[in-house]
Amino acid sequence: MRQEEGVWHRLDVVARSISPFFVTLLLVLLTLVPLHISDLSPIVPALALIGVFFWSVHRPDLMPIWAVFLIGLVQDVLTGGAIGPGIVGLLVAHALVVWQHRFFLAASFAVIWCAFMLVAAAALAVTWLLTSIAMMTYLDPGPVFFQYLVTLAFYPCLAWAFLRGQRLFQR
Amino acid sequence: MNKPTGSEIRVASPLKAWASRFALLLLVGAAFGLMLIGRTNSFIVEETRTAVTDMVTPILDAVSQPVETFSSALDQAESLANLRSENLALKEQNARLLQWQAVARRLEAENAALRSLNRMVPDPTMTFITARVVGDPGGAFVRTVLINAGERNGVEKGQAAVTAQGLAGRIAEVGKRSARVLLLTDINSRVPVVVGKARDRAVLAGDNTNAPELLYLGPTAKVQLGDHVTTSGHGGVFPPGLPIGVVEGIGEKGIRVRPFVDWSHMEVVRIVDYEMTGVLDFEAQVGAARAAAAAGKSQ
Repeated sequence: MRQEEGVWHRLDVVARSISPFFVTLLLVLLTLVPLHISDLSPIVPALALIGVFFWSVHRPDLMPIWAVFLIGLVQDVLTGGAIGPGIVGLLVAHALVVWQHRFFLAASFAVIWCAFMLVAAAALAVTWLLTSIAMMTYLDPGPVFFQYLVTLAFYPCLAWAFLRGQRLFQR
Repeated sequence: MNKPTGSEIRVASPLKAWASRFALLLLVGAAFGLMLIGRTNSFIVEETRTAVTDMVTPILDAVSQPVETFSSALDQAESLANLRSENLALKEQNARLLQWQAVARRLEAENAALRSLNRMVPDPTMTFITARVVGDPGGAFVRTVLINAGERNGVEKGQAAVTAQGLAGRIAEVGKRSARVLLLTDINSRVPVVVGKARDRAVLAGDNTNAPELLYLGPTAKVQLGDHVTTSGHGGVFPPGLPIGVVEGIGEKGIRVRPFVDWSHMEVVRIVDYEMTGVLDFEAQVGAARAAAAAGKSQ
């Protein structure tokens, strides 16, 4: 009986520690669902970027770099464009957050949001540049910019949901 | 809410810091490696992509259905609001279409008579595979959709995907139970077309905007605003005469075409199985005849 409890407890711990990874994968799938809203498709927010950034800031131990790589890989494979640029974009976001980890420790929500503006700009710019190189054409940066704005607007909603979820889990 | 986590202490150790930097370089390098593989060996990439898409399609299929129901409920509520005006407009349109139907019937009969008079080779018959759009990656770089039909439903690479309004794109990748449709507007899309009544040949090239561009028009071609653009059938993959759109703008940005397809309401597409069926049927018939003859001889 006691051992069983131990197993359940361990399962619980494992489930909690991998949930950021799976939630972010779920976000990748979510961006794929056709919403049938006029003209939304080209500027659908980069939800995976929000997930990777959020957990790199709040629980970097649960968002290791290999998980970021895998999320980027799945995203690029499913999107149907070049494979690689999206991965590098997410890795850049993750690396920037890890690099300035001390800064985020005491930061308020608004400050983190502002930091997200910079990190997302860097990540999406890198993705755009590499996609242009991979496709060997000059891609119009306009849609990327709108996608950036929509992603920024989505950040507080998702972050709020994540925070609530995290509190619920941590108790 | 930030509890100091283990990672902080871990990163503090110089060895770990070095290791994490190394991991970053390694993974970025791997990503660049994947980019290179994607450019040089598209076969592996395509295989991986269709395998992953196959895995994900059932999930997307399940998720996209309630979304679709919700959005069509919204549409219905909207149409309920302007029922009267819509009814009037539809009656008018119906009267006009009935006239067109009569004209089409007459032309069809005349066409059939003339074809038989000229002993024209009949066009291969078209069969359709209907599939639901379950995924729309969106984003700034590609214009593709995922559908829930694949190899096992008879979908093949290169086939045309049409909606009720006209051509939407072509099949770019096929998995077992899913396929990816490259839309007309994608930067990689090229479709041979004919323009207007003069039937000038051109190529419709997407560039990720909503209005693809007409390329390689002959110097004598006179294209006007409102000219209809249809598939030419050159290349033998697409059936000729599928409606695509109308010429919307002629200017510095080139000749732009507005496709008929309503991209935001594309819930179901039909995949046109055109080229192979006729040929295959013929081969099957010949094969069967030969087999029968051989059987007859051996008896």
